Amino acid sequence: MITIKDLNVWYRDNKILDNINLDVPRNVILTIMGPSGSGKSTLLRAINRLIEIYPGVRVEGEIYVDGVNVFKARTEDVRRNIGMVFQIPNPIPNMSIFDNVALGPKLNKLVKSESELRDIVKWALEKAYLWDEVKNRLKEPAAKLSGGQQQRLCIARALAMKPKVILMDEPTSNLDPVATNRIEELMVELKKIVTVVLVTHNPAQAARVSDYVAFLYKGRLVEVGSSSQIFTSPKNELTEKYITGRIG
Amino acid sequence: MSRLIEHPLGIVMLLVISIISVMIIFLIIQSIPILLYRGLEFLTTSSWNPVKEEYGILFALGGSVVVGLISVALGAVLSISLAVFVAEISPVRLRSIFVTLNDIGAAVPTVIYGLWGLIYLAPFLYDYVMAPLSTFLSNVLGVPSRPGTSIFTASVLMAIMIVPFSSAIIREGLLSIPTHLREAIISIGATKWELIWIQVKMVKNYIIGGLLIGFGRAVGETVAVAMVVGNVIQPEFYKIFLPGYTVSSLIADQYQNAEAYTYMVSALFAASLFIFIVGLLANMVGLSMVRRK
Repeated sequence: MITIKDLNVWYRDNKILDNINLDVPRNVILTIMGPSGSGKSTLLRAINRLIEIYPGVRVEGEIYVDGVNVFKARTEDVRRNIGMVFQIPNPIPNMSIFDNVALGPKLNKLVKSESELRDIVKWALEKAYLWDEVKNRLKEPAAKLSGGQQQRLCIARALAMKPKVILMDEPTSNLDPVATNRIEELMVELKKIVTVVLVTHNPAQAARVSDYVAFLYKGRLVEVGSSSQIFTSPKNELTEKYITGRIG
Repeated sequence: MSRLIEHPLGIVMLLVISIISVMIIFLIIQSIPILLYRGLEFLTTSSWNPVKEEYGILFALGGSVVVGLISVALGAVLSISLAVFVAEISPVRLRSIFVTLNDIGAAVPTVIYGLWGLIYLAPFLYDYVMAPLSTFLSNVLGVPSRPGTSIFTASVLMAIMIVPFSSAIIREGLLSIPTHLREAIISIGATKWELIWIQVKMVKNYIIGGLLIGFGRAVGETVAVAMVVGNVIQPEFYKIFLPGYTVSSLIADQYQNAEAYTYMVSALFAASLFIFIVGLLANMVGLSMVRRK
């Protein structure tokens, strides 16, 4: 589904990512884990080319999403097919719950009528386990929701574009354990319809939800494998040290 | 209260507050005679004839309101564009230069704006805007005359003068939008202009607040306006190509003779009381909009 070939990223003179090669199969959760500063967020932002909005960033290499080389496509088309969820739940505060979810389909002209838009918003909110909690208050500002609800709203906002991939950048690091648990359950459910790439610095979370795990350390991809292999018999000493809490 | 008095800075604070209060009280006391003498006619008629002790400031109130409204409308377009340019479009490396230039605009003494407005802006507007437009709009807007001093010229000059203030407020609003929100908007496929439009709507309160503060400034500004507005008693103050008065330019222009007449001092105080109230309200509402987020 996603193929990353010889990816190098520089910020000014610093090399942030060093020759990354990675394959992500369809409909799985692949977790990129590693200590802070290892380049996890950069790798995630390279996939939807969000990294390019920052001045001083240079990218080399190829990334294919569903067969399309993202660096040769229009950025808007790339991002339409790749949803993203962030560390801080970030619905647009002055927009209603409905408008937040409707924004992606509207901007990308994915719907032809109001009723089609309502259907897609309902579908996305249902998929994000939020519909029952908000169906009677769709016009209320998104800022009125709790943190966990806001994060599920952001997942619905990403889903509403019917993307093939969802990128999640430490989506539970600002949530309490109960809300975290719900988001993790949701991720497992989501892989039926999308491919999920999750970034976390929490090995326990990686173990709970992932099919595949990639361990990133100082900009290099140290080890990739199935979740069970990485957590039971890591091949690399660094990986073992990280999952046992001796580095990071 | 006793804590305030004990602290040396508290005493300074009390002093400042009492000076402002005394000023306002005097403003009100001094305004009473003309209001008793002329009643509501002081506000609803356009006459300024000290010899007959006739004072009606509708022409000046109207001039102030027209200058305030036109300058805010023009200033809105200019200041939103400028703020968007500095915060969103200009390269980050050049941003601080633009911010400094913008802030210098706010620090230029108003008399310099006035002089520039009189010597350059008024003739320019006469040649390229007022004279051409008046060939077919003279019924509505009046027939302009050289050197181009008019309500319209004062409005354009005020628009230029409030832009540094309101655009700075709007710019700070735009720059205060957290990066992760910008990333979120971009990540759902927004183009550069869609991103800008969504962000401009997010800072709506900053825009309204910045413009209200600008309006307060436009209504109260004296020197620069007095230099370009023409200073003519013009009951048809809505004919903006004609010279006119604003309340502040009226006061600046008339105060020298005021002591010679029975009610003129009071009339000028009452006029200033009204622009003071309007300016204060605009500032207070504006500031509360900016703080509300």
